[in-house]
Parts: sequence; C-alpha cells; structure tokens
Amino acid sequence: MSPAAPEGSSRAALRDPVLAPTVLLLWAAVSLFVLYPVTRLLVLTFWDGGPTLAPVVELVSSWQHRRALGNSLLLAALVGGIGTALGFAFALLAVRARLPRGVGGALDAVVLLPLISPPFTAAIALIFALGPKGLISYHVFGIASLNIYGLGGTLLSETLTYFPIAYLTLKGVLGNIDPNLEDGAFSLGARRGRVFRTVTVPLAAPGLANSFLLLSAASLADFATPLILGGTKFPVLPTQAFLQITGLYDMRGGAALSFLLLVPALAVFIAQRWWTERRSVVTVTGKSGAATSIKSLSPGAVALLALVCAVTVLLVLTFYALIVVASMVRALGADNSLSSAHYAHVFSGGLKAIRDTLVIAAICMPLGGLFAVVLGFVVARTRFPGRRALEFAAMINYALPGTIVGIAYLVAFNDPPLALTGTAFILVICYVFRYSLAGTRATTALLAQIDPSLEEASASLGARRDVTFRRVVLPLIRPALLAGMTVLFIRAMTAISATIFLVSLSWSLVTVRILEGITNLELGQASAFSVLVILLVYAAVLLASLAMRWLNAGNLGQAGTLLGG
Amino acid sequence: MTSTEGARLRLVSVSKRFVRAEQGAAAVADVSLTVEPGELLTLLGPSGCGKTTTLRIVAGFERPDTGQVLIDERDVTGLMVYRRSIGFVFQNYALFPHLTVFENVAYGLRVQRLRDPVVRERVGRVLALVGLPGYERRFPNQLSGGEQQRVAVARAVVVEPRLLLFDEPLSNLDAKLRVQMREELSRLQRQLGITTVYVTHDQEEAMAISDRIAVMQAGQVAQVGTAHDLYRAPGSVFVAQFIGRVNLLPARVLRVSPGQATVALWAREITVPADRVGVGGPEVSLVLRPESVGLLAEGASAPDGEVTVRGVVRGRTFLGEKVEYTVEVDGASLLAVSYDPLRHGLFESGGRVQVSCAPASLRLLGAA
Repeated sequence: MSPAAPEGSSRAALRDPVLAPTVLLLWAAVSLFVLYPVTRLLVLTFWDGGPTLAPVVELVSSWQHRRALGNSLLLAALVGGIGTALGFAFALLAVRARLPRGVGGALDAVVLLPLISPPFTAAIALIFALGPKGLISYHVFGIASLNIYGLGGTLLSETLTYFPIAYLTLKGVLGNIDPNLEDGAFSLGARRGRVFRTVTVPLAAPGLANSFLLLSAASLADFATPLILGGTKFPVLPTQAFLQITGLYDMRGGAALSFLLLVPALAVFIAQRWWTERRSVVTVTGKSGAATSIKSLSPGAVALLALVCAVTVLLVLTFYALIVVASMVRALGADNSLSSAHYAHVFSGGLKAIRDTLVIAAICMPLGGLFAVVLGFVVARTRFPGRRALEFAAMINYALPGTIVGIAYLVAFNDPPLALTGTAFILVICYVFRYSLAGTRATTALLAQIDPSLEEASASLGARRDVTFRRVVLPLIRPALLAGMTVLFIRAMTAISATIFLVSLSWSLVTVRILEGITNLELGQASAFSVLVILLVYAAVLLASLAMRWLNAGNLGQAGTLLGG
Repeated sequence: MTSTEGARLRLVSVSKRFVRAEQGAAAVADVSLTVEPGELLTLLGPSGCGKTTTLRIVAGFERPDTGQVLIDERDVTGLMVYRRSIGFVFQNYALFPHLTVFENVAYGLRVQRLRDPVVRERVGRVLALVGLPGYERRFPNQLSGGEQQRVAVARAVVVEPRLLLFDEPLSNLDAKLRVQMREELSRLQRQLGITTVYVTHDQEEAMAISDRIAVMQAGQVAQVGTAHDLYRAPGSVFVAQFIGRVNLLPARVLRVSPGQATVALWAREITVPADRVGVGGPEVSLVLRPESVGLLAEGASAPDGEVTVRGVVRGRTFLGEKVEYTVEVDGASLLAVSYDPLRHGLFESGGRVQVSCAPASLRLLGAA
C-alpha cells in the first residue's frame, strides 16, 4: 500500500528545492564525462565531413582486424565457460561440502588475490613458470618447446584472473537455494546425481548464465593480458586499438576498432543485466527455517571438486610466489642470487609513480564515494523524469571496456577548451565515472533493506531532503560508502586499460610502470612493483574489512563481484 | 508539555490514483472529511481501502491528483512534508537505528536548530510523559516493541505538531500490549489535545480510542460517525459487516409512519424504529446483532413484546465467556451469541429452539 518512493509523482520531485539541483548536477556531470566522450568517439568513427561507414568497412575488410574480432569473441566465450565451470566447482565446495572453518576462509583469501592484483600479474607469472626458460616447463619438466604466447597462455592467464568473479557470484546463488528444495527431491525418491541435475543446477542456472556473461565481459575488456601474452599471433580488439593509436597514431582507426569492440561488449552487458533481473524469480523461496545439511554431493564428487580446487589454488599460489621471488632475485631463471636492486629502483625511480597513484587514489575515494552514494540514493529513492536514463547513462563507462573509455577520453579531452589529458584531473574523473558503480550498487542494495519510512519520519519532523540525507541516510549507508571507496582505491591502484591513454610525464601510474618494466624486459622490476601494489591493496582490503566489522555490516563480498571488468 | 490548541483538518474531494497497474482503481476517490480541533478521528477499513493513502496525503508524503488538504482553512496541498508541522507515527515506528532514544526524540528539535538546554528540557519532559525516563542513551534495537512505540510517539509529539497522524501504530504489538498501548495513546492524545487522524484495520481498536470513525471502502468514505452510531445504525451492508458481526434479515416494508416502519419478518408484522427509510423498494434488510438474538427452549415463553420463531441449532462454538450458535431459521442461518453459558446452559447441536428478539434491537439497514 505504501509505494517505495516518498512523494510519489515525478512532477512533484522537480519542485523539490534540493532534489532538482542535485539531479541537474548529476546529469551535467554524466553528460560531460560519459555521454560527451562516447559521442565524440562515435562521431569520429562515423562522420568525416558527412556520415560515413568507411572506417568500419575498412576495418572489417582487413583480415588482421577481422581476426582480432574473432579472437576476442572466441576468448571471451572460452574464458566465460571455463571460468564459470571453475568458479562453480569452488562455490560448490565452499557452500556445499561443509569445509572446516579455516579452510573456507583460506579459500576466500586465495581467491581474492587475482581480483585485487594489478594487471599483468598472472601474465608475468605465467612467463616465469611456463615461458621459454620457464621454471616449471623447462627446469622441472625440461620442455623447451612450450609456447605460452597465443590463445593458450592468454586463456589460462585470464581464466585464473577472472574465475573468482564466478566463484563469488555463484557462492551467493548456491547459498540462497533453499536446502529444503533438495530435501524435497530426496524425499520423493531421487538419488544424489538426479537431485543435483534436476534441482541444484536448474536453480543455479540463472547464476551460471550471469557469471558466464560477467566473465565474458571481463575478458572482452581485458587489455593487459593479451598485450603481454597474445603477441602478434593472437591479436584481440583492445590491444589492436591500443597499437593503432600509440603505434600508428591513427586515432580514427582506433576509434573504429573501439566501436567494433563496443558492440559485443554492450550486448554482453545488456544480456547480463537481463539475466540478473530474472534471477529474482529463483530466490523467491527465501531463507529456510531449519538449515539442513546438503546431501546432493557424494563423497567422491567432493573429492573430485577438492582436487580441482586444490590444483587451481596451488597454481595461483605458485604464480604469486614466483612474483615475490622474482622481485627479490637478480633475474629469475637466469641469475637466482638475492638482490634488493628491484626494490631499490621502485623506491627511487619508481617513487613518483607510487606517489602519483596514491594521490589520485586519495582524491578519487571521497569524490567517487560521494558520487556513488548520491547517485544510488537518487536513483533508488526518488522519482523524477529521466531517472532510468540517468541510471543507465551513469553505467556506460563501467559497461564499456576500458580501452574504449580511454580512447573516447583521448578523443574528447585532448584539445582545448577541454585539454585535460595528462592531468591528474582527467585520471580522477576517469576512475570516478568508471568505478563508482560498485558503491552505487552497494547503496541501492542497502537502501532496499532500509524502510523508506525512516526518511519520511525525518521529513515529517521538519527536515528538508538534504538534511535527511546527511543526518539519516548517510549514516545508514556508511558500509556502502566504504565498499565504494575501497573498490575505487583498488581500481586506482590496479587499472590500466583506460588510463594508459591518459597518463603523461607529469602524472604517471604504478600500473604503467609495470607495463614499461615488462616491455623493457625488466621483469624483476615489474614484479617488485606488483608485489608492492598487492601489499597496498591487501592492506586496504583488510582495513576496510575491519571497518566493516566495526560498522557491523558483513563483508565486502558483494563489492568483490564488481572488481572484475 | 502544554496542551496546544488543536487545528482543524479538512479534506475536500481528495482523489489519488496510482500509476502502477497492480494498484488497480483509484486508491482514494473523492474523499471529503473534517476533523475538528482536538478530535481523534479514525480511518477504518480493510487493507487496500485507501485509508493509509489518505493519511499519507494529509502528511504530504503523497500528493493528491485532485482535491485539497486544509489545515485551519489554509490550503497545504502543495506544501512539502517538512513544512506541514505534523507528527507521524509509523506502523514500524521508523526509529533511526543509528541514533539513541534521546537523539531520536531530539531529531525534530535539532532540525529546528533549538538550543541544547531547550532540547534537553523538552526531550526529558516528553520521555517522562510516555513513561520512558532513563532510556535516553539506549538504542532502538535495545528496546521492546512497546518501548519503541513510546519513543516513536514521543518523537512525534515533542515538536508540538498541529496534527498527529498514526498509521496502524499498534499492529506490530502482541494482543495484550495492544490494548494497554491504545489506552495510553488515547489518554496522551486527550491530554495534549492535538487533532489526530488514526489509521487502523482493527474495528475494536477504532471503537476503543476514537471520537469518530470514518469507515472506508474501495477508496471512499462509506460512513462517518461515533462508534455507537456505526454499530447501531450501519448505513450499508459493508459497514454493518465490518463493524462487529451481524445478521442481515431479508424483510419487506409494509407501511411507513414517522419514526418507524412496519415490516414483514418471519411471517409476522413488526414495527421497528426508522427515522428515514431509504428508497429502493419494499425489499429491505434488517440489521440484527448476534448478541440481540435470544435462544429459548422449545415451549418456554418469550419476554413480553419480543418476536419469536422456531429454529434448529446447527452449530455451536463454546468460547468460555460466551457461546456462539448457528441456528437455522426459515432455511437461512442465523448467528446467535449467548453470554454467561455456565449460568444459562447450552443448547445441543441439532436441537429445536425458539429464537427471539426485541423489535427495538432490529434496525432497517440504511435508516439512520
């Protein structure tokens, strides 16, 4: 009987002395930093003195670019499928196998590693482990002919990097399935395999589809891994676009390649949204009264899952151990003597990049955090014309692969009057509009649990909407603010795909230094930078978790699923 | 807390339709009501009848599509909630979980930027008034349902609002506490003299606390009156059935004379009080409350002036203080309630009885 939003009609909202300016401000910001760049990108692609399809036609007729498109799609499908299967295995083990408490926690900690690592980490480790003189392939097994450059290496690296997204998504889905449903199937005489096939999997199916799409999107957008491991043998769209611009100084070609990538990326994003909205059908049964133990996995199945997960965990741990070791020896594989040279470099020549990154992260966090919660609040709790459109527009930069956003920003903000590329400002803006979505989603999720009557109570006591927001809403959504700011920090420390186009001599980033280390074949240095980033990010996550516990607000789990992409 | 001059609230042809399809027809259709200064008026009706929407329109949470809301004859229809000077008590209390009891109650005063000593003094006074002194530093989740309810009331009245609005405030309490709290609310409202609109679906609660009750049905006000009026002379089948339980006996009007009507019931002529007989032909319904139905053993003589008819007991429910019988009369079933069964004894199911009632307790439906 009581509708969700206070003060029902849209027209009324426009007369609200606080809401109207806020909405205008949000629209202005989103228009300038989301819609305008994308429009400029499309104009550059499709307008050359008049409407033209020439750049796209040219691209599609090029064998190399057609192959890049095919490769991107193939890779996305494979990463989506294999990553989801792996994530499902982990989730089944975590949710259904009644692991000892410590083991479950350790599993989560290990799985979090790839999510919060800077790009290239898995790629570098893969080169160390299985590369031409790989520690595992050559020194352990004596294989010299193994070539990890190409589809195989890229696929392995991306799968290990992104499967945690599937794990976190599916863990939630499996956890929400009422065990009584499985018990019901057992009571009707079904055996384990049948229950699993006819009850568990169908109920998890929307989650599986969602996870497949999330992983595909992440893979489509991934720039760092194929840049290192794809090589010339396995071109994909993001790297091709990057090379077109930085190598050939062909802005229009880069823009056209971006468009080619934009189409599947947007399709996957929209499909994923559609699936997520459908998923609510499944959780209708809600929480069960009595938590019964799960019986649909036989001991044999549990053992098999445990084996798969153990191998994966071992692989991930080995990779990270290799990075740590590589950062501490002169040249891993060639000269394994201990050396502090790499760290010495990080803290001398690399100090500026670290400082710049931290400064930018420090500016991003409050700015993006506030943007995220205000947007989340306005979208969830008010009614005004164009609300859905604003919500969608604000999501575009998140949905698009970073390469596209970077190129669009480069196109839009390279010339006066908005010559912003190379400034700290544009880096901050890029992060804020690309990575605030986590905070926004956390805000809307939290608000869904907070009865609107709290805001109405405040209004009835004489508080204007801004006073209500400051005194009632903001204190209640602090966990969302915190989650949003944590994701922003992690992203500021680890992102590269968009910002690589926007850095300059005056403002550099750690991730860019890592890339330089790799291209200059100074893998030790790159490893040292990576270790530093991982430690910083882990510290931030730990701090945020402690703060969350202090705020009595569960964990960062949901925010975790937003880290990919 | 001083007693404030209550405001007069007037709704003039207020209508509201929700855009969303599942809300169906108009939530509130052409509602006009006046609440006198200091009066407690209850909006009573089943869920979905528009009572909460009406209350939210008064508060300013919803804007009516048409019609006006006037407080002391001033049109506030377009006024934002926070400028209306209302106190609203929510069904779920809506206490701010991050604030202490003191800060919850002080919220409205802080919004007005009152000085600290004033805030402390007024919060202290109102907490004493609701019987919660010493609770200042607790948080809402450390309170029982009844205590939360009291804090919600304290928070609403501390700002000395011109209108006090209650949205099913007792529905989350257990039955015993509900009775106790409604007495407290009633006492507090009388003491403060604040004009009050109270929404509930519980007719007993409405009868217990209201000066007047407006029964709502499908977005419209079906009837307004005191509890006594509504029970004695319901204006429609809906009101008759919603307020208390009722037997509706089909009858035929034979003659009408000033103040009374003669009808045919159970094959005899009865004269019943009727100030105004509604139009709509001679076929009418007679309202007979179950407790007005007397049951006598076959052959026993009925009290003077009562009409009797034969019946067969078809069902019996023993409830301690009373017994409820379903009696078949003329092929229709009649509900009868008999109090103090330990004294009067029980009739067996299937047994023949005499059913009696006094003509004065019969009333023509729709006749005031």
